[in-house]
Amino acid sequence: MKTLLKNGRILDPSQELDIVGSLVIEDDQIVEYGNEVDESDADETYDCTGLWITPGLVDPHVHLREPGHEYKETIITGTQAAAAGGFTTICCMPNTDPPLDNPALIDFILDRAASPEAGGVFVAPIGAVTRGMEGKVLADFAALKKAGVVAVSDEDSPIQNAAVMSNAMEYCVQLDLPVMAHCEDKSLTEGGSINEGAVSAMLGLKGMPRSAEEIAVMRNCVLSLHTGCQLHIMRVSTWGAVEMIRQAKYLGAPVTCDVSPFHIAFTDEMVVDFDANFKMLPPLRTQVDVDILLQALNDGTIDCIASDHSPHASHEVQAPFEEAPFGMVGIESVLAVTLTYLTHTNVLTPLQTIDKLSTAPARILRLEAGTLKPGETPVAQVSVIDPNIKWTFDVNKTFSKGKNTPFHGMSLKGKSMLTFCGSEIYRDAYFDDSRYSIID
Amino acid sequence: MKRNLLGIRHLDPTDITYLIDQATDYKKLITKGKPVDSLTKHVIGMLFFENSTRTRTSFEQAAYYLGLRTANFAAQASSMAKGETLKDTILTLRYERLNGLVMRHRMSGAPTLAARFFGGPVLNAGDGQHEHPTQALADALTIIERKGKLEGLTVAIIGDVKHSRVARSNAWLLSKMGATVRFVGPRTLMPSHSGMLPGQVYYDLETGVADADVLMCLRLQKERMESGLLSSLGEYAKLYQINRDTVRFAKRDAMVMHPGPINRGIELDDAAADSEISSISSQVENGIFVRMAAFNFCFSETDNAPKPSKTSKGKSKA
Repeated sequence: MKTLLKNGRILDPSQELDIVGSLVIEDDQIVEYGNEVDESDADETYDCTGLWITPGLVDPHVHLREPGHEYKETIITGTQAAAAGGFTTICCMPNTDPPLDNPALIDFILDRAASPEAGGVFVAPIGAVTRGMEGKVLADFAALKKAGVVAVSDEDSPIQNAAVMSNAMEYCVQLDLPVMAHCEDKSLTEGGSINEGAVSAMLGLKGMPRSAEEIAVMRNCVLSLHTGCQLHIMRVSTWGAVEMIRQAKYLGAPVTCDVSPFHIAFTDEMVVDFDANFKMLPPLRTQVDVDILLQALNDGTIDCIASDHSPHASHEVQAPFEEAPFGMVGIESVLAVTLTYLTHTNVLTPLQTIDKLSTAPARILRLEAGTLKPGETPVAQVSVIDPNIKWTFDVNKTFSKGKNTPFHGMSLKGKSMLTFCGSEIYRDAYFDDSRYSIID
Repeated sequence: MKRNLLGIRHLDPTDITYLIDQATDYKKLITKGKPVDSLTKHVIGMLFFENSTRTRTSFEQAAYYLGLRTANFAAQASSMAKGETLKDTILTLRYERLNGLVMRHRMSGAPTLAARFFGGPVLNAGDGQHEHPTQALADALTIIERKGKLEGLTVAIIGDVKHSRVARSNAWLLSKMGATVRFVGPRTLMPSHSGMLPGQVYYDLETGVADADVLMCLRLQKERMESGLLSSLGEYAKLYQINRDTVRFAKRDAMVMHPGPINRGIELDDAAADSEISSISSQVENGIFVRMAAFNFCFSETDNAPKPSKTSKGKSKA
């Protein structure tokens, strides 16, 4: 079966490629692309005029909630949502119930992800650092790696004891396993639900000071520097954290980091009416932080963008602010939010945009993804994006079970139109079917 | 148009004037034994998740004078103890055809959430550390009775401002009505960033109360020592107590207020406490009249009704 994606703007950051051309997928593999491809004998053709053709997007931070929290999301619904978001490879976080500290659970996840009802995307699991994510005893990293994890993390139960983290990192260097860290000193944030600032003072909500994030960032960077363990810091939110990461990189520590779209779209001022759709971890910060995050994305200090897709049941979010859980769904909006807030504002070029959303996370986690080069991925992973389409985000039309998002009802510019993982796994409702022709 | 009373920060000066004037009218009528215009027979749910004899009784008295019926809900005995969410509790009360809700809750913003689902007026009787609007109105009335006005006064709010909903509501009300507000206390008990709260922060008592017209002393809670925010009550008293000596930093005729109960020897010494006692009875009484005004504000249509107070954005998000 030969599929022709015709006449689009081909953007592949892995090759610094930005050209107008066509791409051919044959028998689930990318065979060629460029402005001189063999267009003959295509069984199906997609007219991609005005659209981008890019490597399938890669999200290093997704919560699939299974096992244990299936009422929020399942592997089936989560991977379907990922395909709809333009993603072909996602990493699922270990804070499930039970947490992913056991190889049998990894097998379970890979099995479910490969089932026919799932979204058809690759799932690369992230294992826990400690047993039960309790921060004390290390998990069996070698067994987890063998089962298929690509990195380890204790996610929102970050290890508070430096010795435990140091031992974990030393062990992980030996296994060549990156450690992904959510940075938070819990002694400073206990009971907090929002950024500590003018807004929290006004609302009478206990705040989570920026120092809590910065102290942990610094500690983890120091440990990375001295152990040589590859560290990926998740969801940077403060200007101070950015500066520390810049310094750590300068000193030669193997540190990378990501940012989540809500931290660049919103500040803590959005919380003025206690709407828990704006309750995030780390919390939404201030305009000064947003400005520095944008700069850091532009200059490369922030390596990539991760959705931190965190589905919750509606009844959990419609609760008093202190009680509500942290996080929003994001996998189906992250591309559009990035295009709207970063690409169309010229903070990122189109090539940089795809780098942040695909090539860079793939490179950081050594995933076979993020590139259009034939043979470098198990099957063709391609995303076709309309960068200019204006649309209104309607959470009721999403695949994810979770509907907790502050973006509902907002106008966005840019959307994923087609996703190919081997074959076509997603076609957007906005995709103009007259662009598609098939030969009987 | 039915209105909520979720906080003073949502109100305009015209709203506040209306409420205080209305309370003053009610006070005149009630103390002379005259009848007041009663509101249409509504049933008000009294949803108190935190214990409060004083505020609850005050609301009940206010309701009684206006001909409103009240229905009491004790949180411990309620279905919430069985795990029902706040949202479902509110919806149930709505379907039981209650017309209004008076709500006190330990979490900031809980009445704001309730207002999204209740479908009728919600009056905040104190939510976490956020606001206690009727208390501020009662305090304002007490100040006006003694000082004649609010505009141009300097009011020092002394103590644990950080954790005090009374301090926040008072700060909003006083500043909207043209008074100057100061927050005085140790740094660990002051708001972390004062940018959006209308009060200037002072760590030193003498400068903080210099030439103040009103000294509002907040009650110090022992939990603050336990959570490491303060070293000891003794240290606090040495630095921030209003007594014979420190009261001299303020104006000669400064009035001392305390929402009660007083920790004698901590916030106030005996002399200051005794002199303050005399105004407590009127503070408590004024609570009834401002709560009557609050019911009136929320339920009735008036010709010169101030524009509706801004509450939630009104969109029901999924």
